[in-house]
Amino acid sequence: MEITLKVFRYNPEKDAKWHYETYVIEGQPTDRVLDLLEYVKGYIDGTLSFRRSCAHGVCGSDAMRINGRNRLACKALVRDVGTKITVEPLIGLKVIKDLIVDMEPFFDNYKKILPFLINETPPPADGKERYQSPEDRAIFDDTTKCILCACCTTSCPSFWANDDYVGPAAIVNAHRFIFDSRDEAANERLKVLNSMFGVYRCHTIFNCTEACPREIQVTKAIGEVKMAILRGKIK
Amino acid sequence: MQSRPAPQPGLTFEYLMWLFIRISGLGLYLVALVGVTAALVMGARTQLDMGTLIRWTFFPNSGHVANAGVDLELGWVSLLWQIMQGMAVVFGVTHGMNGLRNILEDFISNKGTRLVVRVIIILLWILFLYAAFTLVLSDTL
Ligand code: FES
Repeated sequence: MEITLKVFRYNPEKDAKWHYETYVIEGQPTDRVLDLLEYVKGYIDGTLSFRRSCAHGVCGSDAMRINGRNRLACKALVRDVGTKITVEPLIGLKVIKDLIVDMEPFFDNYKKILPFLINETPPPADGKERYQSPEDRAIFDDTTKCILCACCTTSCPSFWANDDYVGPAAIVNAHRFIFDSRDEAANERLKVLNSMFGVYRCHTIFNCTEACPREIQVTKAIGEVKMAILRGKIK
Repeated sequence: MQSRPAPQPGLTFEYLMWLFIRISGLGLYLVALVGVTAALVMGARTQLDMGTLIRWTFFPNSGHVANAGVDLELGWVSLLWQIMQGMAVVFGVTHGMNGLRNILEDFISNKGTRLVVRVIIILLWILFLYAAFTLVLSDTL
């Protein structure tokens, strides 16, 4: 079938302004948008730039706006998005070239919430595992699924307005450690999120939940963090 | 197995305002509920038109019903209603002003501009409260 692929193009070294380029190509309903982009890059215009790595929805490299919605190009099938496809870079982050955006502000916010396990107690006597019950694990199971693709954060109007806001992705990852029974730094993380640019810039818009390619209940996780701050405890 | 003491993230201004917004939202419903119930008991069903009743409901000031021909001495003016008006004003104005602050601060990343906006909002807040309380305090027989 014939597919009309309209792609956002911008080369800061040559173009004064961005523009759209339209490619009419042959494809299958089961093709992924990533396949189409690869085709254009391989056979039509080698200067087209985009990030990708795993091509299987695991690494989070190829988040982009497909027909106005944040998705992973490697998970969006032609069958689901139609034969007229517009591909644009994520919004709220600076475009470096074509579909590549500057992820630095995103990762700066991510770093603010200490995204690593903190546990100062010496490990158990046998020197092996710190045990956790399946029930305790289930509490934060949903937020462990995050692949840091930035679909949620760049769909959030509060983040568009102001990138000082830590954003949904950072809160999801804070949630993953705050509610982990093996972690000991919930307090420090909640302190960061209980500030002007923490959870209170979330106005429960739900764009993040809608955008997440891993189907994480992002807004719910943010709500649980708000409740943890409100109640002063995490259980 | 919680290996650390419960977190104490502390009371920040943003936290307190977030909490206040929720409580004042419910508080405004309470004021309206008391207002409309009492008005119906005091005879609004036959004496007030819908518009007047609604104005009274959200701001139980006798000025709203004075022209409707009700007898103000039958409970329409009292300390209770002054307190209710006070609550409506404090909750409503603070709720609204903080909402405005929130939205504006979403869009302002410059620290200086943010401070200026905050000061303007506080001044507006004081002005509104002052004007409203002048009205509330003069609502006597
Ligand atoms: S390329 Fe890895 S998530 Fe799409």
